[in-house]
Amino acid sequence: MAKKPAKGKGGSGGDDGPIVHLPLAFTAGEQGESTFKRADLIFENVPHNAGSYEIRVFLNNKKAHEGTKRTGRNGYAGRFRVFGHGGCFGAEGHCDTALAERMPAPDALTGRRHPLAPYTRMLTVTKPLQKLLEKKKGQLESLTLVPIAHAPLRAERGLLAGVADRLKVSLRTYR
Amino acid sequence: MAVRQSIRGLERQTDGITLLRRAVGRMQSLSDDRGFDFFAALHGLALPQWCEHGTELFLPWHRAYLYYYELALQSRLAPGFVVQAPADPTIADVGLPWWDWTSEGSHADGIPESYDVAVVGGAQNPLAASTIGVGTSPLSHGVWSLPLFGAVRAQLPGAVTDSDPARTRRDPDVPGELPQASTIEDIVLQQNTFASFTMSVEQVHDDVHGWVGGSMSAVPTSAYDPIFWSHHCMIDRLWYLWQLSALGMDPPPQLLDRVLAPFPMTVRQTLDIATLNYDYAVEVIA
Repeated sequence: MAKKPAKGKGGSGGDDGPIVHLPLAFTAGEQGESTFKRADLIFENVPHNAGSYEIRVFLNNKKAHEGTKRTGRNGYAGRFRVFGHGGCFGAEGHCDTALAERMPAPDALTGRRHPLAPYTRMLTVTKPLQKLLEKKKGQLESLTLVPIAHAPLRAERGLLAGVADRLKVSLRTYR
Repeated sequence: MAVRQSIRGLERQTDGITLLRRAVGRMQSLSDDRGFDFFAALHGLALPQWCEHGTELFLPWHRAYLYYYELALQSRLAPGFVVQAPADPTIADVGLPWWDWTSEGSHADGIPESYDVAVVGGAQNPLAASTIGVGTSPLSHGVWSLPLFGAVRAQLPGAVTDSDPARTRRDPDVPGELPQASTIEDIVLQQNTFASFTMSVEQVHDDVHGWVGGSMSAVPTSAYDPIFWSHHCMIDRLWYLWQLSALGMDPPPQLLDRVLAPFPMTVRQTLDIATLNYDYAVEVIA
């Protein structure tokens, strides 16, 4: 079963800056949802044209930030990293990301996608979600996405604006 | 046939790492289209960047890439991706070693020692870093113009050294942040479609690029770091193990005859590693 994608809110203009909070309701007990064997968060529209970064995902923790410890107690569900292209190294128009976003499917003749078309990422969250649902009246209410820039040098890493608010997120469970 | 084995296994061989260093050092000294810079540039800068990421060609493209790199490593590659008799018989059977970043050793030490030590026998260790060539010779391929060095330093500060000539660099995270064996066994190898396996294994691949940091942290510079090749050998090995498993399957039919540019090879031709003349060893005891 799949939940409808939620579009990011918050973003670089929000109160929490680049950190994004998404409503994503999932309740134990309704039609046996809590009996799933596997649960995946699907992230669509993931950009990879600029620098590398990671998205940390917290369940039901709207206070999560870049310094929050990645523990189950804090609702940490996992993270995924994006291996970025580091920006454009061509002349003007070489890396037209607007064009890339208009043609996310392969072209008919060569089968090639635009190399900068946003892609999809998947985060398996089976255990953290099951653990949350096992609590008394446990239910998933929100996701918090904390985007961290992966600059080449670790000392220069920190919150990254303009990424998490572009993501479309949905939850898939499997029996 | 090249027998690929783990870096740790190779380190236990008497001449294993010595031969690998000789082969990589030889490639780094070649400035034409059999050399290290040429291969690194096929993945990243200078333009064009041919690599496939975020598509279903990720695994076949990188298998073709490693195949021709390994032939060059063995001195079996002539210009135009043509296979020839080895120019140097002493390194004709060198195989790419894989870096098992899930192993206990990696989770204790991080970068394997043979790739980490800067100087060996009074010379720079060719497995620790590479020098990125500047286009000064008409025979030079896969090298950067001086303005390109400036652009890389501006857009990816820290990806290469500030020295002249520039060298690759690393800034690894703590070893415990490397991918866990349980992630591979319980998630990656349990995928039941080619598309989901590709996505799952590519995400772990992305994790390791970010973990190493420095040149490895971004597409344009990553293949200049010699550990790139052992990282991708591990990814290729995981695909091979998944292919052997009960869940493994071929890519969808519409992908099979796609050409993996710039290599003269199709997806179909990458599916059986025996036809590519290499294999993965569990253990080699000499």
